[in-house]
Amino acid sequence: MHSPFQHPTRRHFFGKSALGLGTVALSNLMARDRIGGLPGVPHFAPKAKRVIYLFQSGGPSQMELFDYKPGLVKYANQDLPESVRNGQRLTGMSASQANFPIVASRFGFQQHGQSGAWIGDLLPHTAKIADDIAIVRSVHTEAINHDPAVTFLLTGAQIAGRPSLGSWLSYGLGAETEELPAFVVMISPGGGVGGQPLYDRLWGSGFLPSKFQGVKFRSVGDPVLYLSDPNGMTRASRRGYLDTLNQLNEEHLKDFGDPEIATRIAQYEMAFRMQASVPELTDLSKEPDATFKLYGEDARKPGSFAANALLARRLVERGVRSIQLFHRDWDHHGGLQKGLPKRCLEVDQASAALVTDLKQRGLLDETLVVWGGEFGRTVYCQGRLTADDYGRDHHPRCFSIWMAGGGIKGGTVWGETDDYGYNIVKDPVHIHDLQATILHSLGIDHTRLTYKSQGRNFRLTDVHGSVVKGLFA
Amino acid sequence: MKFLLVFAPLLAAAADLSFNRDIRPILADQCFQCHGPDPNNRKAGLRLDIEKDAKFALRNGHLGLVPGDPAGSGVFQRVTHASKGLRMPPAYAGREALPVKDIAKLKLWIEQGAKYEPHWAFIPPVAKPGGSIDGFVRAKLEQEGLEPAAAASKNELLRRVSFDLTGLPPSVAELEAFLKDNSPAAYSKQVDRLLASPRYAERMAWRWLEAARFADTNGYQSDGVRDMYRWRDWVIDAFASNKPFDKFTVEQLAGDLLPNATLEQKMATAFHRNHRTNAEGGIVAEEFRTEYVADRAETTATVFLGLTMGCARCHDHKYDPITQRDFYSMFAYFNNLPEKGLVYNWGNDEPLMKAPTPAQAKQLAALDAKLALAQKAIDLAQPRWAREQAQWKPAGDWMPTEGLAYSNKLADSTFDGNRVVQEKGGTVVYDYLSPFTFSAWVKPAEKTGAILSIAEDYSEGNGHGLYLVDGKVRLYVVFRWTDIGMRVETEEPFKLGEWQHIVATYDGSRYAKGVRIYVDGREQRLKVLFDELNWPMNFKHPLKIGAGHGMNFRGGIEDVRVYTKALSLEEVIALNDRSTLSISSRPEKLRLAFLDSLKPAELAAEVAARKERDDYLATLPTLMVMREGPKHQAYVLKRGAYDAPGDPVDPATPSALAPPPPGTPANRLGLAQWLVSKQNPLLARVTVNRFWQMIFGIGLVKTVDDFGSQGEAPIQQELLDWLAVDFVDHGWDVKRLIKQIVMSDTYRQSSRLTPALLARDPDNRLLARAPRYRLAPEMIRDNALAVSGLLVEKTGGPSVKPYQPAGLWQELAGGGGYPQDHGDALYRRSLYTFWKRTIAPPSMVNFDSPSRESCTVRESRTNTPLQALNLMNDVTFLEAARKLAERMIREGGSTVDARLGFAFRLVLSRNPSPKELTLLRAAYARDAERYRSAPADADKLLEQGEAPMPRKFPRPELAAWTEVASILLNLDETITRQ
Repeated sequence: MHSPFQHPTRRHFFGKSALGLGTVALSNLMARDRIGGLPGVPHFAPKAKRVIYLFQSGGPSQMELFDYKPGLVKYANQDLPESVRNGQRLTGMSASQANFPIVASRFGFQQHGQSGAWIGDLLPHTAKIADDIAIVRSVHTEAINHDPAVTFLLTGAQIAGRPSLGSWLSYGLGAETEELPAFVVMISPGGGVGGQPLYDRLWGSGFLPSKFQGVKFRSVGDPVLYLSDPNGMTRASRRGYLDTLNQLNEEHLKDFGDPEIATRIAQYEMAFRMQASVPELTDLSKEPDATFKLYGEDARKPGSFAANALLARRLVERGVRSIQLFHRDWDHHGGLQKGLPKRCLEVDQASAALVTDLKQRGLLDETLVVWGGEFGRTVYCQGRLTADDYGRDHHPRCFSIWMAGGGIKGGTVWGETDDYGYNIVKDPVHIHDLQATILHSLGIDHTRLTYKSQGRNFRLTDVHGSVVKGLFA
Repeated sequence: MKFLLVFAPLLAAAADLSFNRDIRPILADQCFQCHGPDPNNRKAGLRLDIEKDAKFALRNGHLGLVPGDPAGSGVFQRVTHASKGLRMPPAYAGREALPVKDIAKLKLWIEQGAKYEPHWAFIPPVAKPGGSIDGFVRAKLEQEGLEPAAAASKNELLRRVSFDLTGLPPSVAELEAFLKDNSPAAYSKQVDRLLASPRYAERMAWRWLEAARFADTNGYQSDGVRDMYRWRDWVIDAFASNKPFDKFTVEQLAGDLLPNATLEQKMATAFHRNHRTNAEGGIVAEEFRTEYVADRAETTATVFLGLTMGCARCHDHKYDPITQRDFYSMFAYFNNLPEKGLVYNWGNDEPLMKAPTPAQAKQLAALDAKLALAQKAIDLAQPRWAREQAQWKPAGDWMPTEGLAYSNKLADSTFDGNRVVQEKGGTVVYDYLSPFTFSAWVKPAEKTGAILSIAEDYSEGNGHGLYLVDGKVRLYVVFRWTDIGMRVETEEPFKLGEWQHIVATYDGSRYAKGVRIYVDGREQRLKVLFDELNWPMNFKHPLKIGAGHGMNFRGGIEDVRVYTKALSLEEVIALNDRSTLSISSRPEKLRLAFLDSLKPAELAAEVAARKERDDYLATLPTLMVMREGPKHQAYVLKRGAYDAPGDPVDPATPSALAPPPPGTPANRLGLAQWLVSKQNPLLARVTVNRFWQMIFGIGLVKTVDDFGSQGEAPIQQELLDWLAVDFVDHGWDVKRLIKQIVMSDTYRQSSRLTPALLARDPDNRLLARAPRYRLAPEMIRDNALAVSGLLVEKTGGPSVKPYQPAGLWQELAGGGGYPQDHGDALYRRSLYTFWKRTIAPPSMVNFDSPSRESCTVRESRTNTPLQALNLMNDVTFLEAARKLAERMIREGGSTVDARLGFAFRLVLSRNPSPKELTLLRAAYARDAERYRSAPADADKLLEQGEAPMPRKFPRPELAAWTEVASILLNLDETITRQ
C-alpha cells in the first residue's frame, strides 16, 4: 500500500490546529518527541513532564489526616469561638445550627520520617513515604460547595466554561505519544457505590478546541468509549475495512484537495492503533505479583482506586501527559467516624505505592503527583455529636494536600493553621497558587499560558496566583 | 533587504490606513488593558481609547499622541524604546515587544494625524445602494486578484443546500427530480421546498438551543431533571411560521409583559429560564440567584448584542466602553423574578406555568366544561337537598372518614412529660409531596410540647410533626433541619390549661402556602419559619403521640387523627364538633353527614369530574418562565461578589449605545423594544452574522460572540452592513435572508481547493470557493438515521433517550443510570435527544457540541480519533449500517454495482466513480467471502440495535453489505458538507 497517508506524520495528526502547520513543525524541532503544543512552551526547563492528580472528591478531613491539633481535646464540645470563625460564611447545612461544638480527631497521629511530619494513623502507608512528599496544610479556596469548589480547583473558575488543568496542559505542552490520549481520566466510587457526583466539565476543554478534553478510561464496557469493534469483526477485517475506507478518502482528497481529508485518514489510523494500545495498557494480567503486593490486592479489581493508580503508572510509562484520578465519597457531614477509615483504606496503600513505584522506576523526578480534595472540613461537628459518631461540614479556609515528585522537595511541611485548625496563620496557598505551582513544575509560567476567547486572554489562574517556590527542592 | 520585504506591501496600502481596521486592534490588544476604559487599572493617567484623552497632556507633561509627530508622541516613543524597562507593552508584565509591522502602522497613523473613528460596531449600519452578496464578494476578490470558483454540480449543490437548510440529505427521488428539472427556476424551487419543510425549523432550532443553553437538566452537582421541551416546541414553531426576528426577540425576552399576552408569548420567555440552576444542599441561595441573573444578562449581551458584558461583572471592561455599572444595569432588568437560589431538583421550579399543546388545551377545556356542568348540577340540586335535609333526622356519631389513616381516641389522655404512645414504624409514611391532616384535642400544661410526630426524636431531627413551641402551634416537615424542610407556626398563642382542637393540613404542594392550621375550627394566621421543602423523603419513623423533635408533652391529648388528604374547612369544623348528631350540631357537620347518608349522584359526578380534570391537569407539561415579581433592588456588586453590594442601580441599556427613546419602560419589555429598534446598531448585524456562520461555517465577523474591540473587525463590513439593513428593511424575515444567501452565486460555487488557493486563503475568508466543512454533530447522526431509513420524523414533544453506552451516568453520579428508550424514540432527530448537562450525550460531545452549560454561539470543529471510533463502533451507526445494507439489497437492484450505485446516491447524492466502484466491489467480495466462511461472525455482527431484522436475507451477505455500508457512513465526504 503506497499511500502517503498510511503512516501519518505528526503534521497530519495535528494538521489543522489553530496554529497552522508551520508552528507545529517548529515545535517538533524544539522538542523531538512532542506532538502539538505551543511554540515556546514550556517557558523554562521543566521539572516534571507529566502530572498525576489523585483527586479525593468530597473533601477529605484534614483534621483527621494531616493537620494535627492536639490542643483541641481541651476544647472538646465547646462552641467554636466567634473570634475564630470571624464572620466566615458557612454552608446552608450548618449555618442555622444552634451551636458549633468542637470535636477533636478521634484517630491518632504520629510523626514520621526524617522530617517528623505528623500524619494521621488512618494513613499508615502514606506515613511511610513522608520523606518523599510535601504536605501543604494551608491550601484555601473560595467555594463552600462541591460543584463550584471542584470546578474552581480543576478549571480555575467556580462557574462552568473554562478549560480544565489537563486540557490546558495538552494545549500548551502537547502530547508525548500518539498511541494514547494526552489527558486521561479515571474514576473510582468510594465504597464501591458513590459519593458526590462528578461532571464532564472537570476534564472538559471549555473554550479550547474539544480535542484537548480529557478522555475517560472506564472500568465497565469499553475502556474508551466506542473502542471495541463490533462482535463478529476481527482485527484483520478491521484492517481491510480501513484500507478500503482510506483509499476511498484518498480518492476524494485528490478530487477536493482539502487537507482536512488527510487529517481524517490519519485520525482513523490513530484510532486503529488505540484499539491495540489501550487494551494492552489496561491489561494488568502481566503485572507481577510484586506489583499487587505494593498496590494492594484491590488493584486486581477493575475500577478500584488501586487499579486506577496502577494504571496511572502504566500511563506515565507510555508518555501520557496528564492523568486525573477521582476517588469519590469523602463528604463526611455525618458518619465520619465509620466512613473516613473506609475511604482511607481504599486509597492509602495505592497512593503511597504509586509514589514508591515511580521512584523505583526512576520516573518520580519527572512526574508530579498531587493528592487532595476540593476543600477541608470544619473543626466543629455538624449534626449529632455522639460517642460513636460525628460529622464535619465543608471548610474552605484551610485544607491539606500533598505533592510529590516533579521537583517537589520531599519531607516538606508547608503552611500552618491556628490552634483550631480553622484559619491559616502561615504561608497560605490559594487554589490559584496551587495551580500556578503545578504549572511551574511543568515548566509553564502560569501568566503566559493563555487563550483568547470572547475578547479576553484567559488563563488557568485567572489574574491571580503565585508559585509556591518554597515547595521546590 | 528583509526590512523592505516586510514593509513593501504595507506602504502600498498606506493610503487607506483605517483606524478601525488597522489601529484599533493594536491598541485594544496591546494597550487598553492599562490605558483603556477601566479607571481602576489605568496607568500613568493615560487613556488611549478616547481620542481627546489620548491627545491630552499627561500629568508629567508628556503627550500620548501628537498628530503628525511620531517622535514627539509618547506612544511611539515607548513602543520603540530600547530599554526593556521602559518599552511598552511592558516586559515586566510578560508582554513581548510589538511586531515591526504594527509599529510601522502606528507610525504611519500618527504621521497621518492620528485620527480616531468610533468603534465600527457602535455606528448604525448603512447599506451601500445597489448592493448584493455577489457584488461585494466579487469586488473584494477582484481587489485581491482572485476569481470565483466554478459553480458546484447540481448533485453537490442539492446535498449542500439540503443540509444547510434542513440538516438532512436529499432523498434519491428529490435528487432525481432536481437533476431532471432544467428550468431556470429549478434550484429556486428546491430552496423554497426546503424552507417550507418542517425539517427547516428543526435545523434552525438546534443552533438557537445552544445559544439559549437549553437542556433537560439543571446542570449543577446532582443535575436534576427539568422539563422545558414546550419551549423547544415554541422555537420550532417560530422558525416554521417564520416569525419575524424582532418579534422572536421581544417575545422571548418579555412576552409576558406584552399587552394581553397569549399563552405562546408567555411560553417564549422560558428562554431566560434555560440557564443552569443549583439544587446542591447547603449552597448560599443568594450566591446562586445572583449567578442566574448574571447569566441572563451575559446571555442577552452575547446573543442580542454580540458583546462580552461578562467581562464587566467584576470591574469596568478593559477593552470596551462597558462599565461595571452597565453590567449591573443590564442585570437589573432580570432581577425581579420571584425565584429561588436553591432550586428544586426534581422538576421545574417557580415561577412556572402550564404549557399545554393546542390539543391538550382543547382536551382541558372539554374537561373544564364537564366539571362546570357537574357543578351546575349540584347547584341545581341544592334546594332539593336542603328540603330533604330538613326532613332528615340526625342521629348517631359522624366524623369525616375519607382518607383516615390513623386514629386513637386515647382513653387515658394524661401526658406527664414522660409518657409516649408509640406505634410501629411504617404505620404512616409520608413523602414531601403527600398531602395530610393532623388533628388532635389538646390541653397543654406547658408552652412547649410534642403533640404528634412521625419524626426523629431529636431537636434538629427530620420528619413530620405537630408541636407546641413557646406558646404557638407549629407544623414541621423536615428532610434536613438546617436547609431542607418546611416549618410554620401560628401567629396567635394557644391557651394553657384548656382543651382545644388543633388541626394542621398540608396539600402536598411543597410550599408553606399549602399549609393551614386551625384552632377550634378557626383558621389561624401563619408565620412561615422556613420554606425550602424540595427533597423526597421516605423516613420510616414510628408515629408517636407526646414525643418528637426532642420534645415531650405535659397535659392532655385526646382523639388523635391522621388523614392522607388535606381536609377542607367544612371537614375541620365537623371534626371540631364532637357531639352526637342532632339538630344543634354545627351546620357544616350536619350538611356533610346528611350528604354522606344521601350519597347523591350529582356529588359523586362532581367528584369524578374534578378528579378527571385534576388528574389530566397534572399530566400537562409545565414551563419555567419569566414573571415580574416585586422589585428586587440591584446593586453594583463589588468584585462581582453577591455579598458585596455597592451603589444601587436601575435597569438601563449600555451607556455607550444610544439610549431608548423617552417613555420606554425600564423593564424587560423596554429592553427588548430597544434591542430591536434603530437605536441599537448591533442586533441586526449580530443576527445576520450568526446566520452567515451557520451557512458558511465562519462569520463575516469571525468572533460571532464579540463585536467589541477585541473581536475581529468584519472581513467585509459593507456586505455585513448591507445584509443587516436589508434584513431589517424586509421585516426581519429570516426565511428571506436565508434564501438570499443560498441563492447567491457565492454560495453556489464549487468547494474544490487548489494548493494555490489553500496557501492564499486557508480559512476561505474571501470566498473564492464555497466552504467545505464537517457536518454538525446532530447532522452526522440524523444523516445516518435518514439514509438507513430509520429516522422517525415527528415534530416536537418531550425529549427522548436513544442509545448511549451503558454506565455513563452511574460512574459519575450513581443512581439508576440512563433509562434508555425503545421503539420510535431511538430514531428521532437528535434535536430531541435528552440533554444532561453534566454528562452530555457522548457522541454529540465527541463531535464538538457545546455542553449547554452556558450560552454558546461560536461553532467549533475538530478532527479526532475518538470521532473515528464513534462512527465505526457506536451502535447508532452500526445499526444504521445494517439497515442501510437491507435497503441496498431490497431497493438497490440485484447486482453488486447497482446496489453500490444506489447506496452512493442515497448517502452522497451522486454516482460512484469507476475507481470507487472497483474498491467497494473488492471490499464486498472480501467481506462476503469472510462471512460465508465464518457465518457465526455474520450473526454476531448483525446483532446491533433494536430495529427488527428481516429473516429473508442470507446472513453472510447482509453482514458483508453491512460492513460496506459502515464504510460509506464513515467516509469523510459523508460527514462533510461540501
